[in-house]
Amino acid sequence: MYYFQKTKVNPNSKMTHLIEENSALLLMMQHFEIDFKVGDLTVSQMCDENQIGVELFITVANLYNGFRPKKVTIFPEQDILQIIRFLKNSHQYYQFYTYPQISTYIHYLQENHPETELVLLENFFDEYFSEVLEHFDYEDNVAFPYFIKLLQGDKDPETEFYSAKEYSDHHTDIELKLKDLKNLLMKYISIEGDLIVRRKLFLELFELEYDLFIHSLIEETILIPLGQSIEKEKHA
Amino acid sequence: MESSQIICEGLRHILYQSELDCFVTRIETLDDFLEMLNSHPVDILIANPMQFVNREKDIKKLRRSHPHLAIIGIDFGVMKKKLFHLMDAYFSIYDSVQQILEEIEKIEERALSDNNIFPDDDNLTDREIDVLIKLVNGNSNKEIADTLNISIHTVTTHRKNIAVKTGIKSLSGLTIYAISKKIVSIEDLKF
Repeated sequence: MYYFQKTKVNPNSKMTHLIEENSALLLMMQHFEIDFKVGDLTVSQMCDENQIGVELFITVANLYNGFRPKKVTIFPEQDILQIIRFLKNSHQYYQFYTYPQISTYIHYLQENHPETELVLLENFFDEYFSEVLEHFDYEDNVAFPYFIKLLQGDKDPETEFYSAKEYSDHHTDIELKLKDLKNLLMKYISIEGDLIVRRKLFLELFELEYDLFIHSLIEETILIPLGQSIEKEKHA
Repeated sequence: MESSQIICEGLRHILYQSELDCFVTRIETLDDFLEMLNSHPVDILIANPMQFVNREKDIKKLRRSHPHLAIIGIDFGVMKKKLFHLMDAYFSIYDSVQQILEEIEKIEERALSDNNIFPDDDNLTDREIDVLIKLVNGNSNKEIADTLNISIHTVTTHRKNIAVKTGIKSLSGLTIYAISKKIVSIEDLKF
């Protein structure tokens, strides 16, 4: 996956221009629960209308456009709750839409083509999917509640130390198997015909890969630094 | 490898508009470049030779560890001649687009005539195939090392090369690879 830099987003950017340039931003808006009919609004106007922190929105939109933040910003509590909701929405979308869709395509190919590799590929995918679900479950039920507790000033010493490394290991694994799946389909498994279904499958895989990549970046550049800074304060 | 963004973006633009089949990444310093090499294969390094000042030893080491890497210098008009000996070719920032591309194409042709320039080509060596077969049969690194009479370190090196060449990193993915390449058949596999 190539990650190109696009226009840098600022508060006065027009939403329509940004979406024209990078349609992946639509998925970002969906995770933020923002309607796609943006009219003539600028970024800051749209954020005001939707009660989303402008700085937070710009940071995330810039991640989608290929710019990583140069310094760590510690966002206010409201923003962090918002970003956690964003991440949860993404999980829901992957779990109930993207992965089932991919599964349907692979199953269709497996039923309509004789290659034994496709049976194995379906198994590979099913195993991978259950690993992914486990990880989402961990984030939704362990990691995110932990951040929320931290934010609310919970000084409970029982709270387990949160491991940023464990977090990023999980992600690497999820992204890595997705790449394997793509490479197997692009380079090694011969399937005759069915170009439409196969292209749709690729589209889902590419969209998922891109979104998962940004998903990890959000956690690494926004959520984890915040957790670390609160933890440091607590131990100081 | 150049710290001026204007020059990098300009060069990137020239390369992407050309017919060269390439992917361009910008790196600021030699140290960043050396680090990147660990995870990303690089065919051609286009560098500001100032980055090489007092780093001759590192360059020599780099040449030994990556014999297929080509280095092209950017001549800013103020360069010391001795630095140019470290390069395979160079162009001046005042050269025309055509001249710059010609220099790079020459280097690319030379690189292509060397074998093995594309490390992600999945031509596995016999030894790597041995390791792959053992792997997909569920053997551990230690077991593979013992049966093939090599060190565990060598096994991990082979595994790394297999992953880079095939583009497949997980064990279950490699199993599917091995079957589709007819390296093993499903019947042979103990599940």
